[in-house]
Amino acid sequence: MSAVLVPGEAVSEIEEVAKTKKVVLGPGLRRTNDSVLACKAGVLCKKAPNMFWIDSYQRRYVPVRGECVLGVVTQKAGDIFRVDIGAHEQACLSYLAFEGATKKNRPDIQLGDLLYARLVVASRDLEPELVCVNSHGKKEKLGVLNDGFVFNCSINLVRKILNKNCPLLQALQREMPFEVAVGMNGRIWIKAKTMRETIAVGNAILATEFVSNDDIRKLCENIGNILFT
Amino acid sequence: MSAKPQLSKGVLQMKFMKRTKDKVDEELAALEGRTMYSNEITDRMMNDSSNFIIEPSFMRCEDLIDGRLSFRGMNPEIERLLELEEQERQAKTRHEMGKDVTDQEMVDYYGNVVQTISRKFDTHRKRKGNREESESKPMKFLKPKDED
Repeated sequence: MSAVLVPGEAVSEIEEVAKTKKVVLGPGLRRTNDSVLACKAGVLCKKAPNMFWIDSYQRRYVPVRGECVLGVVTQKAGDIFRVDIGAHEQACLSYLAFEGATKKNRPDIQLGDLLYARLVVASRDLEPELVCVNSHGKKEKLGVLNDGFVFNCSINLVRKILNKNCPLLQALQREMPFEVAVGMNGRIWIKAKTMRETIAVGNAILATEFVSNDDIRKLCENIGNILFT
Repeated sequence: MSAKPQLSKGVLQMKFMKRTKDKVDEELAALEGRTMYSNEITDRMMNDSSNFIIEPSFMRCEDLIDGRLSFRGMNPEIERLLELEEQERQAKTRHEMGKDVTDQEMVDYYGNVVQTISRKFDTHRKRKGNREESESKPMKFLKPKDED
């Protein structure tokens, strides 16, 4: 499974499968009537039994409902905050979408604060909407992130380090304690005990983009050795 | 064309016809809507059973983990949540617990219990009857035969 597709190309393989059973079309694929077209340039991927998507290089974030992103508060506009999530448009975040927030008890959010939030509305025609609570009204892992360091990376890198088989985070935590929030919009926030360690974690993450899994372990060991000698 | 009798405007405006009027108005609106869009809705749109499901997120395609993590006590709050998630995941995958009581034991025990309890609800006479089914009826006075 390593067919390279360009936008507009029909994917006959999926069309064949779809004649008999249900098919899940992931990012990069769209359908018109019974034909399936690629809308990104990249490699066709398949997950058993019948899920297809295109793996392509991308830095621009396109909001998707349910994904967690990192955003910066840019504006307070009455009942809502405007949050920059790196998408085509700023997202809005109601001040009631925080744990324990009521009309009288507003959350303490300042301009320039960094938030880890979940997208609940992401449509091409509407402005994206964020929340900082789950469906039970608990904040869980969402909310404001204090201190630490944020940097941007490609969306591919985010997918790579969040993959179940990626050893990066496990290898890094063997070297030093740290905390991380990875947004699907290609922003990563990290926090470690010292500035030196924070920079080391950041560099390790950025360095993994084009490194194989085995080399990642070596890379993390190296970083540990350099830091603590 | 319409088999149903139409009510005139005057009748519908009467006070007691209010509910009927609402119903008639609703039908009219639905009919208008249908005619308005009839040339845009194709048969395909009306009854299409597609084999395609659209999934716009990489999260589900590539089984990505949640991006908020903490290691070695950096943020105890997050680590507790992660631990709970891990426990939940393990509970799902763990095999069923072994049986302390075998099925046969359970059947034997339960059968006995059912009998005991059902006896409790029997009437006194029935219970007695059950116990002494083999015994004959209470004796009656036998009239001696006359001998002439």
